[in-house]
Amino acid sequence: MNQQDRASAVLAALTVAFAALTAAFGLNLWGHTPPLPPIPLVESWVTNTATVRTNYADLIRMKADLSDFDCYGCHEKKKPPVLKFDADHNIVVPEEHKDIVMGHGRHNRNNVCYNCHDESNLELVQTRDGRELKLSESTPLCGSCHGPTLRDWEAGVHGRTSGYWDRALGPIDRKPCVSCHNPHAPRFPSRTPAPGPHPLRALTRPMVAEERSH
Amino acid sequence: MPAPNSPVNPVPARPDAGVNRRSFLRTSAVLASGLAALAASLAPLRELKDYTSAERFFQKYYKELTPEEMAKVLKRIENEVEQQYGVRPHVRDLKPMDGVEFVYAHNLTRCIGCRKCVHACVAENNQSRNPEIQYIRVLRFPHGSMDMEKAEQFYAPPSVPEPGYFYMPVQCQQCKNPPCVKVCPVHATWQEKDGITVIDYDWCIGCRYCEAACPYWARRFNFTQPSIPKDRLNPNMAYLGNRPRRQGVMEKCHFCIQRTRVGRYPACLEVCPTGARKFGNVLDPNSEVAYILKNKRVFIQLKEEMGTSPRFFYYFDV
Repeated sequence: MNQQDRASAVLAALTVAFAALTAAFGLNLWGHTPPLPPIPLVESWVTNTATVRTNYADLIRMKADLSDFDCYGCHEKKKPPVLKFDADHNIVVPEEHKDIVMGHGRHNRNNVCYNCHDESNLELVQTRDGRELKLSESTPLCGSCHGPTLRDWEAGVHGRTSGYWDRALGPIDRKPCVSCHNPHAPRFPSRTPAPGPHPLRALTRPMVAEERSH
Repeated sequence: MPAPNSPVNPVPARPDAGVNRRSFLRTSAVLASGLAALAASLAPLRELKDYTSAERFFQKYYKELTPEEMAKVLKRIENEVEQQYGVRPHVRDLKPMDGVEFVYAHNLTRCIGCRKCVHACVAENNQSRNPEIQYIRVLRFPHGSMDMEKAEQFYAPPSVPEPGYFYMPVQCQQCKNPPCVKVCPVHATWQEKDGITVIDYDWCIGCRYCEAACPYWARRFNFTQPSIPKDRLNPNMAYLGNRPRRQGVMEKCHFCIQRTRVGRYPACLEVCPTGARKFGNVLDPNSEVAYILKNKRVFIQLKEEMGTSPRFFYYFDV
């Protein structure tokens, strides 16, 4: 075997070795775990900054259908509708207002229309001390009972804010009560939670529960 | 002089060296296939896309950069981002404002654990979607306990809040006495005078000491190349803030530097449906956070006994 044949043999052996390595990488012989399935992207509602509801002032601004707020389309002026109560003194919501769920407070004493609505002009609301307010400016109405909360709201501490913390650089947008609270049932509604952290391979949900119990 | 495709052998035979046409062709064939096999077997190396550029390698320390050098660095980052994502970003180097110290306050009474803050933060700060990097971790505690051992982060009920539980989001607490800054061997992370602890992603060596030092599990490491869909990239960027990170560096919440240092509220605050999150300049007595610290029942700070003195306060409404 001359020198040249030996060189060729070495080169051929190297070729085989590297080809084997190529095949091994391709077939993943080192047992690297396969990549995880892609984590789905979040839907747009998750990052949406809109409030839970749209308040009346915003509906006017959006030029939405306001026929629901046109009281005198059905009611007669200067003739306040009479409220009906059942045997337990619970208000009977008339058929025409079936979409209204009465749930203001944990007791039942505040579920009376004229505590807030103005009998003499149904398109206005009235505070406890008799001030008449437009529907689009209802915050002082809520504040006439919920004083500490109004005080917090005025300080920017209760409720949603957005815009600029530095008033010198830009405006702050403070949402009124009815952007988050339905006045007829003001408890903040339950929400679907956004997806949690991906548990990856090891932490499937039953295992989490198991680990916690130890 | 023969024509190029003449049958005449261009290589003169040299019988003394033993190289003739046949052995030459055989050797080169073996050599060529050997080199091809070598190249194929080195395939894993091709995945190392993120080798450093000379400009980044020779870049000076952040605090030593002159404004002209900083402008050059920002241009380089804009070019790199545009090349990678096809979007021309607006990268700024925002300095802390005078007379400002940021404080965050979180209302435990109002938080419903909906996790919208987590994802608004991911979208605002260009965090990797796959693998997932999130700065905020929402913990669920059973009522009557604040024992970290009882906290659950993977809760997934059909609707929140669940009866019998309360929720506490934990993110970087922007400590006054930050242990993560103390352990950094290269000074790639430091506290700015407005209270935000920042990271220079070009200076970080990825040793993860800071991650180990943090008692709040607030720091995240890029174990692999982060991936962000092109249409979800936020082009409003800051050097110390939400510019895209690369593999092998730390990142964490920076109170949305790109927003808060131009006077805006952070993204997690604006998305919160209940208004449980409050943010502002604690040195301004008329700010929301000053009002909260003065008037609300503030559950001092998380892991107060660590002596880290966080600028993130948890409080109750009633």
